[in-house]
Amino acid sequence: MNDLIKIGIPSKGRLRESVLNIFKKNKLKLISKRGDRDLFGSVKGKKNIQIIYLHAREIIERLADKSLDMGFSGLDLLKESEINIQKNIKVFKSYPFGKATLVVAIPNDFIDIFSMADLEEVAFEFKDKKKRRLRVATKYPNLTREFFYNKGVTQFSLVKSVGSTEVAPFTGSSELITDITSTGSTLAANNLRIINDGYILKSELCMMVGKSSFKNKNLQKLAKLLSTKY
Amino acid sequence: MKSKNLSENILRSVKSKGFKYIDLPSVIEADHIVQRSGENFRKFIFSFTDQAGKEICLRPDLTIVSCLRYLENNLKGKEKIFYSGQAYRKSQNKKDSIIREQVGFEIIGSKDEKSDDREIINTSLKSLQNIKYTSGTLTIGNVEIFKLLISKLEIPSRWKLRLLRHFWREDYFNDLLKRLETNADIDPTEVEVDKKKFLNLLKKDPSTIIAGRSIGEILKRFDTKIKDPRKASKGKKVSKIIRSFLKIKCPINDAAKKLNKFFKKNKINLVVDQKYFPISSNKVSKLNVMFSTTFGRQLEYYTGMVFKIDIKSNSKIVNYVNGGRYDGLISDLGSQKKIPAVGAAFNL
Repeated sequence: MNDLIKIGIPSKGRLRESVLNIFKKNKLKLISKRGDRDLFGSVKGKKNIQIIYLHAREIIERLADKSLDMGFSGLDLLKESEINIQKNIKVFKSYPFGKATLVVAIPNDFIDIFSMADLEEVAFEFKDKKKRRLRVATKYPNLTREFFYNKGVTQFSLVKSVGSTEVAPFTGSSELITDITSTGSTLAANNLRIINDGYILKSELCMMVGKSSFKNKNLQKLAKLLSTKY
Repeated sequence: MKSKNLSENILRSVKSKGFKYIDLPSVIEADHIVQRSGENFRKFIFSFTDQAGKEICLRPDLTIVSCLRYLENNLKGKEKIFYSGQAYRKSQNKKDSIIREQVGFEIIGSKDEKSDDREIINTSLKSLQNIKYTSGTLTIGNVEIFKLLISKLEIPSRWKLRLLRHFWREDYFNDLLKRLETNADIDPTEVEVDKKKFLNLLKKDPSTIIAGRSIGEILKRFDTKIKDPRKASKGKKVSKIIRSFLKIKCPINDAAKKLNKFFKKNKINLVVDQKYFPISSNKVSKLNVMFSTTFGRQLEYYTGMVFKIDIKSNSKIVNYVNGGRYDGLISDLGSQKKIPAVGAAFNL
C-alpha cells in the first residue's frame, strides 16, 4: 500500500480543465469507473496511482496531513494557508495556467484614494471619526492582513467572505475588498477599481507535493514527467 | 527568576506601596482586541465562539483586561491596583510557551501624572530589593517629546499625522522617511483623470453614502490632497532632523541639556526642563539611569513616559520590568472620556 501514489485534482472549474489537459498531453489516461461525477479515479495501466477529485483548497490541507502525495491547486490557496501547512508542502512546478492576481479593490467613487498610502490615511481617519475600523471583505484573510500591514495599513478589520465578494462594499458589509481576478472585468462590472499598488500576489496553477511523500522515487518520476509536457 | 517565592515577594512589595489586588476575568470579547490592537493581533489570540455567536478569547494580556474592567464597571476616580496571572498567546516560535505569567500594577484615573509616573518607577525600584543582581540599567523615554518635535516641523499636516501614527513600526517609519525625501506623493496624470470624476461627484448630493463614506467626505479629502504638495528639499531637511533626534541617548541628568541644544541647533521652538523627567540622578541603587529618544517604540499604546529596567545577574542581562503611560488605551476600548493610566509589568 505504501507505494500507492494519491493525487488530488480540483473537482471543478478552470484549474480542473488545465490539469486534465496536462495528463492528456503526457498520455496518461484518467479513468472514472462510475462516470464523470465519480470523485475517485485512476490512470490507465498505472495501478499504483489513485486520483481523488477535491476542492482546490482542500487539496492543500490533504497534502499537509499526508492523505495526498501530490496535488494540483492554485498558488494563492497555498500562500493563504497556515504556516504549518505550508511548511509540509513543496511546489514542484508552476504552470502558465489559471493565472490570476489577488488585488485590493475599492469603490470607483473613492476618487481620493490612488495608492495604499492613501488607504493608510483614510483608514486612520475613518477610525478616528467613526470609532470603528474600515472593513475589508475577503476570501484571503491571511494574505490580506500581511499585505496591509506591510503597506502601513493597520486600522482595518477583516470580514470573511466565501463568494461574490465584489458586492460587499455595496451591501453594507464592508468598505473595500481584496479578491482574485484574472481580467478585472468582474471588478469593473461591479463598480470597483484596483488600487495602483494594491497587487498582493500573482497566482497560477501549481503541482505540489507533500515533503515527506517526495522521498518516494516513483512520485519523483511522475512529478518530472508531468512537468515537461503541458 | 522563576521561583514562586520571588513573585510573592514582588507582589508583597507592590502591595506595601498601597496597591490593591484585583481579580481579572480569563476570557474577553475578541472584538475588543481586534478593535484596539488590529487584525495582526488576531494571529496571537486563542478565540472561540460562545452560544450567542460572539467571538470570545483567552486574555492575551492583562493590561487590556484591567483597563476593560475599569471601563465596564463604570469606575471613576483614582485606582491603584495590581494583578497577577496567566496570559495566553500563540507564538510562531514552537519553543515559546503559550502561557505567560504576568504581574502588573497600575494607577488609573488620576490626574497627577508626573507624580504617578514617579510612583510607578519607584515601586519597580523598591521591588528590586528582592532580586540578586550586580548592575543594571534603567532606561527612560517619552513619546510625547517626539510628538512635540513633529508638531513643530515644516511638513504638510497629513505627513505629521502619518509619522506619528507609525512611530512604533520602525521599518515602515524608515520607509516613510525615505518617501518624505522624494516628491512622489501625487501622480499628475492620475490627478487629471480623477479631476473629471471629481467634477461628476460634485453634482451629486454630498450626504450620499458610498460604501460607508459620504461623497462630501471623499471630495473633501481629494481636495486637501491635491492642494497639499510639498518640496523634496524641505522633506530631506525634515527627515534629517528626525533621524538625528532619534539618535539622542545620554545619562538622564544630561537629557534636558542635550535636547535643548538639539532644538536650538535645528531652530525648533521647544524647550524641555529637567524636571520633566521622573528622575534626575544618573545612578539609582546599582542602576545606571539613561534617557533615550527611540525607547518606547515597541508598543503602540504608550502615549508618554516609558521605562524599562534591565539587570545583570549571573553575567546575563535580563529584562526585569517594563512600563509606561497609556492615556489613550481606555478611550480606545470605548470610553467617551480620556482616562489617564500608567503602569508596569514584571517579566518573571
